[in-house]
Amino acid sequence: MKTVFRYTLRNLRGGIWGWGIGLALLSILLVSMYEPFASQAEYLNALKDIYPKELMAFFGDIEKFLTPEGFLSIEFFSYMPLVLGIFAILTGSGLLVSDEENGTLDLILAYPISRSALFGGRWLAFLSATLIILAFCWLGLVIPMQWIEIDLTWAEIALPMVALGVQLLLFGNLALFLSLVLPSRRMAAMTSGMLLVASFFITGFAKLNEDLEPISRLSPLNYYQPQEAFHGLNGAWMLGLGAAAMVFSLLAFWLFQRRDIRVGGEGGWRLSWRRK
Amino acid sequence: MTEEPALLVQGLTKSYGRVQALRGVDLEVQRGEIFGYLGPNGAGKTTTIRCLLDLIRPDSGTIRLLGIDPQSRPVEVRQLVGYLPGELHIDPNFSVEGALRYFIALHGNRVDWSHVLRLAERLELDLKPVIKNLSHGNKQKIGIVQALMHRPQLLLLDEPTLGLDPLIQREVLHLITEAKQNGATVFFSSHIMSEVEAVAERVAIIRQGRIVEVAETESLIRRALRRAQVRFKRPVDLSPLKAIPGVQVLSQGDGESVLLQVEGEMEALIKALAAMPLSDLETERPSLEEIFLEYYENKAQEG
Repeated sequence: MKTVFRYTLRNLRGGIWGWGIGLALLSILLVSMYEPFASQAEYLNALKDIYPKELMAFFGDIEKFLTPEGFLSIEFFSYMPLVLGIFAILTGSGLLVSDEENGTLDLILAYPISRSALFGGRWLAFLSATLIILAFCWLGLVIPMQWIEIDLTWAEIALPMVALGVQLLLFGNLALFLSLVLPSRRMAAMTSGMLLVASFFITGFAKLNEDLEPISRLSPLNYYQPQEAFHGLNGAWMLGLGAAAMVFSLLAFWLFQRRDIRVGGEGGWRLSWRRK
Repeated sequence: MTEEPALLVQGLTKSYGRVQALRGVDLEVQRGEIFGYLGPNGAGKTTTIRCLLDLIRPDSGTIRLLGIDPQSRPVEVRQLVGYLPGELHIDPNFSVEGALRYFIALHGNRVDWSHVLRLAERLELDLKPVIKNLSHGNKQKIGIVQALMHRPQLLLLDEPTLGLDPLIQREVLHLITEAKQNGATVFFSSHIMSEVEAVAERVAIIRQGRIVEVAETESLIRRALRRAQVRFKRPVDLSPLKAIPGVQVLSQGDGESVLLQVEGEMEALIKALAAMPLSDLETERPSLEEIFLEYYENKAQEG
């Protein structure tokens, strides 16, 4: 499992560096802009009245824009599930099926390594890659605190990262599960991406239209706390989302154990779980 | 206690949707044997080999490799087996050395690197290039090295000489023979009959998912139809030849020459010819390829 973990993480290093450094730089820039923004309170208050409330519904409580947590939530955490969701979905959907589609899994599984170890090694590499990227983002937010006065501790900034991480694990594992059900990685990534975007919009629109509230309860992003998390996570929500991620992960594990490994290319619509 | 066969397959079936790839395959390969597995594309060769390694799951049947069930103890089996897939794909971003070191790591680093270097040298494999820049033949050499590097007890090779030049093909056949001399069992599929004929002690012919023949390579060739061109010093009565069981006159010239087809042993024909004014006798021993084609042509008509 160690070899698989190391090799998978090595293969993910481009994504880790790219997403990690890119988002860390964005975070540094955003935190650095907090003081100039806060000093322009009266203009910003006037500006926020101009923005349509339909737009603001997607970015959290605009009334708190000038507080540090409100600022970071609106400028960074509110849309991060969509941005980093792309990484999670692409990595999750390709974790096993990419190698199957390019034909390399056939040879790897002929080596003395069990399917469980292969799955475990790759899953841990995905988890580690996600955590490393989040760590980069966190560093990007806390480093400028050395020269920018912002009323938040390092630990408080870590909490919304945890909320974000759980969402990423959920969508990554959903993509992993779908990649073993649907005929191709492409289709799994597309379906998971559509669900992520749908979740984002349903959660936002539910704040404007009460009729959408029952549907939004099914939306994972309804349980995302970009702003509230700074002062404490909702444990039940975190556990629920984590459990959902684990269910998708366990289903994917079960399907992979029973799967006929393809020699290459995309598969068909045959239901793989019906096989022996 | 008798040692279990290196490979034992009983009643193996496998379907892909409505396509029945294997329809009750039975095979037994003894330890230390080189066994050729013949069949055209789509006959079920690759499906059989992939079932053996638990890469795909059969619908029914039992498999034992070196006495071990690969479905319940896959890791144990794979430690003892070297596998070369029919379609070899390796991460194209690896260098040759990087790929081989990765394969060694997957073996738990229990491979002697100097042995890998020796194999690479014999196959004229350069370790520096990146795999995406390699020709098919050079990638195939990596496949052969990785299959042999841990000195496996059982080699499962799917078309081992595919895409190799004749000199390297010969070297691969030497490596297969050496593996046998060192106690390994070799089970390999091939389209190239000459190489199967050269190294395999026994062969199985698979057709549409069924084994239609398992025999010693020599005996398969010996008992197959062969042709005899006979010339006589003067016209003769051919009725004694026609009366020999298994002998058929294919064409008759001016009475001084005749083309015969002989099934089975030549002994009776030779005895009959000895009593005739024989001028010349040429016999054509069929190659394994001809026998194989004959199987396919004849059995396809029957089927």
